[in-house]
Parts: sequence; C-alpha cells; structure tokens
Amino acid sequence: MRKLGLILLVLCLAVCPTLGLTACGGGKEGGTLTGSYASFPDYLDPGLSYTAEGWTAMYDTYLPLLTYAHANGTDGNEVVPALAESLPKITNGGKTYTLTLHKGLEYSDGTPVKASDFKSSIERLFRLNSPGTPFYEDIVGAEEFAKTKSGGIAGIKTDDKTGKITIELVKPRGTFVNELGMLFAAVLPTGTPAKNLTADPPPATGPYMIAKVEPGRAWSYTRNPAWARSNSELVSEVPDGHFDKIKISVVSNSSTQVNEIEQDKTQWMQTPPPADSYPEIKDKYEGTQFRVEHPINLYFFWMNTSKTPFNDLKVRQAVNYAVDSRALERIYSGSLVAAHQILPEGMPGHKAFDLYPHNMAKAKELMAEANPSDRKITVWTNDEDVNKEAGVYYNGVLEELGFDTTLKVIKATVYFPPVIGSKKTPDLDTGWFDWYEDYPNPNDFFQPLLSGESIAPVFNTNFAQIDVPKLNQKIARLGQEQLGPKQEAEYAELDKEYMELAPFAPYGTNTVSTFVNSEIDLGKVIFNPTFGQDLTSFQLK
Amino acid sequence: MAYEPNAESGPAGASPWRLALRRLRRNRVALAFGALLVLIVAFVLAAPLWAEQIAETGPNRGHTLEKIEVDGQQREVVNVEGRPIGPVWLGAGGKFFLGADGRLGRDEMVRLMYGGRASLFIGFSATLLTTVLATVLALLAGYYRGWVDGLISRILDTIWAFPVLLLGIALGIVLALGGLKIGPVAIPSGSIWITILIIGGVLVPYMARPLRGSVLSLREKEFVEAAVAGGASPLRVMFGELLPNLSSTIIVFFTLGIANAMLFEAALSFLGVGVQAPDTSWGLMVGEGFELINSAPLLTILPGTMIFLTVLSVNVFGDGLRDALDPRSKVLLEAHAGIAEPEGTPV
Repeated sequence: MRKLGLILLVLCLAVCPTLGLTACGGGKEGGTLTGSYASFPDYLDPGLSYTAEGWTAMYDTYLPLLTYAHANGTDGNEVVPALAESLPKITNGGKTYTLTLHKGLEYSDGTPVKASDFKSSIERLFRLNSPGTPFYEDIVGAEEFAKTKSGGIAGIKTDDKTGKITIELVKPRGTFVNELGMLFAAVLPTGTPAKNLTADPPPATGPYMIAKVEPGRAWSYTRNPAWARSNSELVSEVPDGHFDKIKISVVSNSSTQVNEIEQDKTQWMQTPPPADSYPEIKDKYEGTQFRVEHPINLYFFWMNTSKTPFNDLKVRQAVNYAVDSRALERIYSGSLVAAHQILPEGMPGHKAFDLYPHNMAKAKELMAEANPSDRKITVWTNDEDVNKEAGVYYNGVLEELGFDTTLKVIKATVYFPPVIGSKKTPDLDTGWFDWYEDYPNPNDFFQPLLSGESIAPVFNTNFAQIDVPKLNQKIARLGQEQLGPKQEAEYAELDKEYMELAPFAPYGTNTVSTFVNSEIDLGKVIFNPTFGQDLTSFQLK
Repeated sequence: MAYEPNAESGPAGASPWRLALRRLRRNRVALAFGALLVLIVAFVLAAPLWAEQIAETGPNRGHTLEKIEVDGQQREVVNVEGRPIGPVWLGAGGKFFLGADGRLGRDEMVRLMYGGRASLFIGFSATLLTTVLATVLALLAGYYRGWVDGLISRILDTIWAFPVLLLGIALGIVLALGGLKIGPVAIPSGSIWITILIIGGVLVPYMARPLRGSVLSLREKEFVEAAVAGGASPLRVMFGELLPNLSSTIIVFFTLGIANAMLFEAALSFLGVGVQAPDTSWGLMVGEGFELINSAPLLTILPGTMIFLTVLSVNVFGDGLRDALDPRSKVLLEAHAGIAEPEGTPV
C-alpha cells in the first residue's frame, strides 16, 4: 500500500503541472482561473472602456493614481491610494490637487513608471476623444487641449525626479478624487499610441497583465512580473491575486455559460444567469456557489418635461402612481429591488422614501384633473430581453391611463446615445433607461441626469429635459464640495426635491450575481460596487 | 378502346378550369391539407370572439400581478420569480387556456390567435404585392425584351444577389426608427406595412424571373403574333393575351409564395426586425418564448408548430393546385391518349 501510495504521489506530481493544479485540487495558490463573458468588452483599453464588463476586466491590470478599495459593498466605495503614495492634498479652495507617485514602480515590460506618464495618459484621453474626457475637462488647459490636441494640458505639472504631480482645476470639483480613481485615469507609458489598443493592450501596472487577446472571442492574463518585483510592496491597497493565470472566453449563450459552470468546465461567469433559470440557480446554489450582488444603479422611465403632455406635473405624478414595481420585480424574475427615488441604496446620500406608492385610482384621478389634450405619445425602449418587457409593461400602463401610445423598440447598440441621446430624434416623449454609477458620489446621478447644464443636442443624458435653475445651482455647488455628511444630507434633500417634480418614474435597482463553480471559494470573492468581481480575490477552496 | 364522341353534341370536353378542379378533387392529400389550412384561417379569424367572450382579455393586456381561479384554487398568473402560469385548459373557463405568454402575463391563446392573424395577413399581403410587382415586371421584360428586359433583369439580379434574410434584416433595422416616407405616403415605423413592404419587395425576383421566362416563351406563340398583327396595343397584348395564359402559373406561385413569405416574416420577427412589440406574430412569439425555453418550452413550441402546420398546408395544397392547374402537360397527355372524360362521368 505504501508503494502504491508513493507511485500515485509521483504520478500526481507529474500530471498536475500539465492538467493544472485545479484538477488535482492542488491548493489555494497558483493555477488557472477560467471564466466566461457573454460578450467581449467594449474595449480592453483603459482609456476607452466605459462598460461594467470592461472595467471588471481591467480593474486589476491598469492602476490609476488612486483606486477603489478591494472590498465588498459600501466598503468598496472608499477611494484609496494606488500608484500614488497617498490621497491627494487638496488646496487652493479645492482647485489644486497634489499627489506623489511611488518611487520604484514599473510597467509589466520593465520600464519605470514616471510622473509625466500621468499627464500623457490624461492627454491621451483627449486625443482619443474618449468618453471619459468630461470627467477631466475642469483641468486647466484641458478644454483648449481638447480642441487643438497640441501643446499639452497646462494644468497638470509633473516632476519625474520627485514623482510629484500637481493638478490645477478651473473650479473646485468635489468629485475629482473619485474621478482620479476611474479606469480612465490609469497611468500608461508616455507615447502609448492614441488609438484603440484592445488587440494589443498596453503594459500593465497591476497584479495581472493581459497576455493575449483574440478580439471578440477570448483573452487571458498572467501575473505581472513587475508586480512581484516591485509594485506589490508599494501598492499595498491592491492584493496580489491567487491564480497565476486567468483565461476568459466569450460564450454568447448565457444558458451555455450556466451549463459550463455546473459541469465544472468553467469556474466563473461574469454575466448574470438568464432570467429563465435565475430562480432555479439562486435556489440551488445560493450561499455555496451563487451570491446576489448589489451594484449601484437605477432603472427608471423618463418623461420629457419640455413638451406636452409631460410638461404637466400632474401627468408625471400620475405616471409615478401608476407604475407598479411589484409587477416589474416579476418581470425581472426577482432580480430587481423596488426603488422610487433618484439615489439608489448604497449610494452616499441615499435616504429611503416613497412619494408615490402604487395607486392606480389616484393616478387616474390625477389624469382626470390634468386632462391633457395631447395624449398621443411615443414610448421608447431597447430590445434587450427584460428591458424590452419593462418597456412593453410601461406602454400598457400608459394606455391604461388613457394615452394613445406608439411603442418603439430600438436595438440596444444604438438606443443610447444615437437615438434617445439626440435632440434630432423626433417624438422623444417618454421611455426606459438605466443608469449605473461611474463612481460612488451622488453627483454622478444628479449632474448628468437632471441638471439643466447637461441638456445637449447630442449625447444628452438629461432625457427628461428638466431645467430648474435653483436645483441646477444646488447640483453645481454640491459638485464642487468634497463629499461629507453635510453634503450627503443635502443630496438626500435634493433627491426628494426632484421626485416632487417627478421627471422620472424610477422603479428599481437591478442586482447582478456572482456564480462560480464548486472549486471556487465563494466567500472570498470580492464584488466592488463600481468594478464588479475582483479577479485578485478568486481562489480555490 | 377508343372513345367515340357523342354524335349529337360533338366532342365532349370540360373547360381547363373544370378539369383542374376534378384533378384537385382526386388529390385527397392536397384536399386534406387544404382543409387544414381553412381550419387554421378559421382559428385565427375567431380571435376577437375568443378574446372577448371566453378569455375576456386582449392580446396585449398584461396580467402580471393578477390571480385566477383554476379548479377552485387561486393561482398567480406570474409568480414572484417571473414564471408564467402554464396551460390551465378549461380550468378557468377558458381563460389562460394555453397559459400565460411570459413575465408580462398575457393570455397565450389570445396571442396565438392574434399572432396568426398578423402572420397570415403579412404572408398574404406580401405575396400579393410580390405577385403584382413580379407579374408586371415579367410582362414588361418578356414582352419588350431588348433594353427593357436588360434593365429589369439587372435590377432583379441586384436584389437577388443579396442574401434575402440579410437584406430583410438590414431594411428592417433602417426602417425601424423613422418609418418609410415616399412622397405623400408615410408609413410609421412599427407599422405592419413596413414588414409587408420589405418581404413583398425582397421576394419579387424569386417570382419575376420564372414568370419572365414563361412570358418569353408565350411571346413567340402564334396567338400573340395574331393579336399584334390585329393591331392590339402592347398593353392589350400583355394583359389581354399573355396574362390569362399565365394565370394558372401565377396562382400556383402565389400559393407557394405565401409559405415563403410567412417563413420570412417569422425569421424577421424572431430577429426583432419584423413585427414590433406590443403587436405579435407567430415569429415574434417564437423569439419571445425562446427566452423562457427552459422553463416554458410551450411558448416556443406552440407558435412554431402553427408556423410549421400552416406552411406545410400551404405547400402541399399549392403542390396539389399546381398538379391540377398545369394544363399543358396533363391535357396534352389526355388528348393524346383520347381520355377526355365524357359528360356525366363521375369524378
């Protein structure tokens, strides 16, 4: 028996490196994590990606000066230092930010990270016409640079010898610390081409580097050698990661993704399970392989307040009373959590209230009082599965209120911004939308969605076209202040003020999920509300 | 044994249409499927009756939060996990006979019936459009020949060169937002007429080319020469002489074309560029049911079966019709063999 055991041990040691440690259950460190996405991320370029899929993919690869704590829930909202030694020193009435780069940082290709790389990385955003540029437009010289693409951004001063980075803003910006933690602000080597580098990603600073990309199909990571060599000790807030390699493949059918998890062919799926099988999977695996996660988002129906019939407050309030979140919860197969306000739970400043509990009788009463003469409206939604059904439901509610509706179901790829974000689109009366936080600051909801300053002919995000000068000023003022308890209380008040005007009929926040196979220790997986699953947190049981 | 015609009334002969009807009546398989087709049409025409009198709901009305009494028990139309109720047959007096259609809780039977109306209407209308356009183009091309034929044939070839489904999808996407505006005629996006126009237009070459061939062949016949020599105008020749001789071919193409058009509509709607929500068609229902294929496969199977049965019926009946209406091969054969049935011969 002892001889047999020895033979088996030798065989195992010989075979394990070939099959991967997971096959032999060879411990918690090392090996390859396999995962799947339902679609390839928009970009694997930190300067361009503006989706949850892309941010999850690059959270542990490209580090900005600051990052978000690798922690679950609201703990993950905390901004912590990454490539910078500490959080910025904010002076000059909130207009000057000073940071110092860690000394000794390297990229995955061995080149040292310099302070001037930060400046060139921000300039690269403007050269790319990145969707991230609005977050950095308040830097002195940024608007000029955006137009000319030459001369550099005067407001960013760097010293490669000391690692000092000074950023001057044209006006105070209370969200700037959050924005320095966004992936858009990831530091890349000076000279990184200002073009989409998805097929050949730039060198990394985080614990993982993207080793290979098959655009549209798959990509993989290996440990960043510079991380082990130098960065790990300096960037203490970012964990090392447990797996040596990570392989992600695109599996467009989410039912197939689920099957692969259940058959242990894949260890993690980034996409939530399809609505059809969501209840079964939740019942069967919750607590062991499945966990509901709460990213900060809002699902709502917007109403165009600049034209009839939704320029009438009573009509908008009627709609709010008429929409029943209980029905929508079922339409979302139980993944939706009802909400009837602007700031979702988990967002600083959230204070729960409900001004319009469902009451169809009250809704019809308000409609009768308002008695709009123009009842012919167009209802917009996109064609993504459940969102389309939400739009169809909303269309039915509006018909019940006496509107003569035309429902337009638009392909998701062009729904926003080309269609509903453009003033040229006719009949933008009302429709569906969802908004996921860019960062955990309430201004990220109010400014783009509700401030009159955000109304734009293209890329408009204020779909309700609401423009209340008093509230615009409040948003602008709060946006300049650093977020603290006082500001949170004011945002809570603003939430109520807007809901009294009812430009939206919010109906809920959607949950996502972490679904892993039986080998992965679910309890150790971290879900950051902004960046999703943290790849460094995956480990074997 | 040779047949000796009745000396008093002259050679007995039935008209080609009568002969065709006799042949069709002898084709029991075609008749059976024809009867099935009639049943399907009756089924979908009964939609308003079923919806108002039995289901007491409309095709687009959702019942997500409602409960119904089934055999004395209260049951949710859609449960908290978004699962729709399955078929209750007559357990609720006919309501939700086939269950609910998904998370919106609409009556599946009502949707199936109204969806059939849309699918059949689109199939019929699109094919009618195709037939009219194809016939006109074929007549013009075949009669005038020369540069007219060249121009029309190249246009048809261009349309034909596109994979028909991709062309349909592309047009569907383009017209989904702004609709179609040609001069004073404006068709809003989401209108069923957009789908009809797309299908009707894209399928024209598939009918026009074979019809053109028939016209070219008929163009050389003596009766055409005689008509031209007699001073008949081109329009008179095309529509007075050529068209009647094409009628049986056109009827067969039309019948078979309905099946193609229905399948095309089903594909476009399944892909989201045909019939638009909240309206319904069988193709759209297949697509919507697909999202619940694991938990409620009937939602896909039912409309898919209806498409299958309808297309099969149309095809088999159309084949029977073609066999019955093909005058040249059958009548010539019978004349050569001297087997024209005498009057009074039971069929």
